[in-house]
Amino acid sequence: MDNNYPLHDIDYGTPKSVSEKTVTLEIDGFEVTVPQGTSLMRAAVVAGTQIPKLCATDSLEPFGSCRLCLVEIEGRKGFPASCTTPAEAGMVVRTQTPHLAELRRGVMELYISDHPLDCLTCAANGDCELQDMAGVVGLRDVRYGYQGLNHLKDQADTSNPYFTYDPSKCIVCNRCVRACEETQGTFALTISGRGFESRVSASESQPFMDSECVSCGACVNVCPTATLMEKTVIEAGQPDHSVLTTCAYCGVGCGFKADMKGSEVVRMTPWKDGKANEGHACIKGRFAWGYATHKDRILKPMIRKHITDPWQEVSWETAINHAASEFRRIQAESGVDSIGGITSSRCTNEESYLVQKLVRAAFRNNNVDTCARVCHSPTGYGLGQTYGTSAGTQTFKSVEKPTSS
Amino acid sequence: MNSMTAREAQAVEAALSRFQDEQGALLPLLHAVQDTLGYIPKQATPTIASAFNLSRAEVHGVITYYHHFRQTEPAQHKLALCQAEACQARGCRSLTEKAEAALGCNLGEHTKDNRWELEPVYCLGLCASGPAMELDGKLYARVTPERLESLIRKKELS
Amino acid sequence: MSVKIYVPRDSAALAVGADEVAQAIEQQATARGIAIDLVRNSSRGLLWLEPLVEVAVGGQRLAYGPVTPEAVESLFEAGFLTGKTHPLAVGPIEAHPYLKNQERLTFVRAGITDPLSLEDYQAHEGFAGLRAALALSPADIVQQILDSGLRGRGGAGFPAGIKWKTVLQTNADQKYVVVNADEGDSGTFADRMVMEGDPFMLIEGMIIAGIAVGATRGYVYIRSEYPDAIFVMEEAVRRATTGGFLGKNILGSGKAFHIVIRKAAGSYVCGEETALLESLEGKRGIVRAKPPLPAIVGLFGKPTVINNVLTLAAAPYILSHGPKVYADFGMGRSRGTLPFQLAGNIRHGGLVEKAFGVTARQLIEDFGGGTESGRPLRAVQIGGPLGAYLPDSLLDTPMDYEALAAKGGVLGHGGLVVFDDTVDMAEQARYAMEFCAIESCGKCTPCRIGSTRGEEVIQHIQAKPAEAGAHAKLLRDLCSTMVNGSLCAMGSMTPYPVLSALDHFPEDFNLTAETHKAA
Repeated sequence: MDNNYPLHDIDYGTPKSVSEKTVTLEIDGFEVTVPQGTSLMRAAVVAGTQIPKLCATDSLEPFGSCRLCLVEIEGRKGFPASCTTPAEAGMVVRTQTPHLAELRRGVMELYISDHPLDCLTCAANGDCELQDMAGVVGLRDVRYGYQGLNHLKDQADTSNPYFTYDPSKCIVCNRCVRACEETQGTFALTISGRGFESRVSASESQPFMDSECVSCGACVNVCPTATLMEKTVIEAGQPDHSVLTTCAYCGVGCGFKADMKGSEVVRMTPWKDGKANEGHACIKGRFAWGYATHKDRILKPMIRKHITDPWQEVSWETAINHAASEFRRIQAESGVDSIGGITSSRCTNEESYLVQKLVRAAFRNNNVDTCARVCHSPTGYGLGQTYGTSAGTQTFKSVEKPTSS
Repeated sequence: MNSMTAREAQAVEAALSRFQDEQGALLPLLHAVQDTLGYIPKQATPTIASAFNLSRAEVHGVITYYHHFRQTEPAQHKLALCQAEACQARGCRSLTEKAEAALGCNLGEHTKDNRWELEPVYCLGLCASGPAMELDGKLYARVTPERLESLIRKKELS
Repeated sequence: MSVKIYVPRDSAALAVGADEVAQAIEQQATARGIAIDLVRNSSRGLLWLEPLVEVAVGGQRLAYGPVTPEAVESLFEAGFLTGKTHPLAVGPIEAHPYLKNQERLTFVRAGITDPLSLEDYQAHEGFAGLRAALALSPADIVQQILDSGLRGRGGAGFPAGIKWKTVLQTNADQKYVVVNADEGDSGTFADRMVMEGDPFMLIEGMIIAGIAVGATRGYVYIRSEYPDAIFVMEEAVRRATTGGFLGKNILGSGKAFHIVIRKAAGSYVCGEETALLESLEGKRGIVRAKPPLPAIVGLFGKPTVINNVLTLAAAPYILSHGPKVYADFGMGRSRGTLPFQLAGNIRHGGLVEKAFGVTARQLIEDFGGGTESGRPLRAVQIGGPLGAYLPDSLLDTPMDYEALAAKGGVLGHGGLVVFDDTVDMAEQARYAMEFCAIESCGKCTPCRIGSTRGEEVIQHIQAKPAEAGAHAKLLRDLCSTMVNGSLCAMGSMTPYPVLSALDHFPEDFNLTAETHKAA
């Protein structure tokens, strides 16, 4: 399979810096050069090492809450968090020392003192960053025991048809809350309460379906544990491989990873490097892909002579010839202007272009339109006002950093 | 969803007209509502959110973060006893026990008839003259058990 | 001519009946047909004497206290209006050793003036610092603050001048001055006394900072537990604006400065500067990761000077008397004076402004007169709920940031809470963790979960003496995680009271010499 893609992307921990200036520093004895503004955490990955982390992920701004990514910097007091500390020229950084190991184990011991010990039967088994970190730091004992105050009895919210929220597994890393803000921009999630009682809350501590959530799945995507989990994965288990594809829903062209188990899709996750979506998706592409294997899905071309006739499966050649001859017949009977074409808003720009070419060159008229002119009129208006054209042909990157030419 | 009572709606409206256009003024707004009603109605969250161009989640997050804000109606009388170190050194622990016995409810709770609530407070800035407390908005310092009992009795009679 | 009588309106006086005393005085005077001029001054800080009533007689102010409403009649009978003696007579207040032995630079007007009188303020050097600042360039003002050696009085002790300089040098269309008046430390009340007792001094300090860094807007973030301070500050801002000291054109200089008073909502963490800024922006009071520093990206993303009340309150003196006069007080790198606050089980609790370098013992014994209970002193918590408990043997340590730190102590905001020998230090340690659990913002793991576990571990030590050794070891490990791993001082300094209690008072933790050593 050509499109096979690693199940798990490299997570650099913090977003890429776009600075053209670079700085050179030393991490664990290796010299590394990174753009100015790069976090120590990201610089470490560039240098070839991984600093333990839980609240950081490279699609979100650094937050500095989990305290696993602490490092030592020569000449500086204490243990700064590598996610929120920018790399500076000449820094000498150590990511692994006996003191850091002890610290990280201490933090993990606290996490696990308020986390169920059901890894083997957990839906995230094999894809859980908390589990990974427990392994990485060498946690062997939780001396606090499990009798203390905890959230293990918190009830799961299954109201959303696509994912569950299980607060008993939540480590309050705030990734979901930040994804809802930074990635999706809906601000449907917050933390309610504070301190030990801090809990992820959809709107006013409501079931997700009663909240402002639009089910885009950005929160589920960044959750490091089984707290926010696709129902399909809970049912089917973890995928074994991943295939790169483009979402078929609309003309935006979002890049997706189809996480597969054999030939079955287990989940669709937005591809980080998708030029039109950069790791984000909407509810349709992310969750509403049941059509892929639906029994009503049409897999072969079909024709019928009359609306009252039953459909007949035919070859592509027959189908195309039939359509062409019918167009010709109608034009001969009713005139050149009697036919035309409307493209769907799901069509890509290229597809729309081809249809208008067909209409103008083969139909020899101007009867062409796209339904996007109606249903996407707000989008078109916005683009027109902002960029002078309503055609959304740009990648995100080109909008972030426009060049005049 | 239940809607606000006329009184609640009026209080929220009045507070919004004062603070809606001030930058970052969610806290002053919430204070204004609570100062008027004694609490911030749960049903006010959507109204406040839309006036401040915030999500309901954001407003909810703020209200639940700050211990001063409450979403339920307060008891008739509120007794807040300082529990912090300087008052501990001056006997606030035994004073608290006295208050619990006198009112018949524990610290952090309210009486069954909701006439009284007994709240902890962490420093009123009267640390040289503890134990200190706040009773229905008025500060008292050097509070002896006898004084506490007579103050409670006076409120009971009023 | 009518007799001038002073009854303080500081909340420490109000909480022990100052309003009732004032009322009784007016009633008595009316009944006796005596013309009096009743001034509601602020407190001098001799808080065990509150309500402390003063009468102006022959160019002196003679004090009586603590006065109860019931005692007022007898004061009139005794002839206190002409300075006659009475069992409550304290004598000429300025000569009181508690005051005479202080070095009051910030609290120079405390108790003397009517806090809300602009005339009174100006008659006592008020706005001299501002007038001096208006004649200087911003860089020169900043230099004076740098030269004074003034360090942040909130607890961290960061040089104020460096903060100001950073904000001055950062270009922006809008800058802010924010006052941290979220004085949440138990055992401290100096900020409250400044705001209630000399609000124009704080306003003057803010304007000076504004002119120095190019900020035109200021916020004072005051805890909701201080209703009187909020009231006085709001009124003072109104009067200062009417008087031309605030607004679009300060004293005709063409410079603008506006002040907004904001009420906090019950979160100790909001005393941490970045959480405070979040709160001012109308958000949850969650600590921000640094960098960026607030001096560069502060309130609403703009460069912001954020200082404690006492820091900004020191600025007028430094500008009017010059940085050297200020810097001549103090020791080591701690220059100037600190308003110490004597609290807890102490006979003469109150406010003592002294140069850095005074020892805790001098404060507690010479000024404070020892414990109020008369029992032996066992421990003193210095620096608020995140400060260490010091045993008697460490009380000769000079009160200086570095000297105290060398002994495992924390100067913090200058509060000293005294405990006698009835204190249970394991219980105090448990409370320190409980307080952290109540107040943790919940952002970072060591504080969010660690505080709750900490309280549980100490409860275990208290309940099961046989396992105290193993749990003391766990407690130490937890404290190490919190000290080194927490995002802000809430989590990283809660172990100070816990460990100091454990170190100095192991017997309270069911530890023997042997198990203590092993832990």
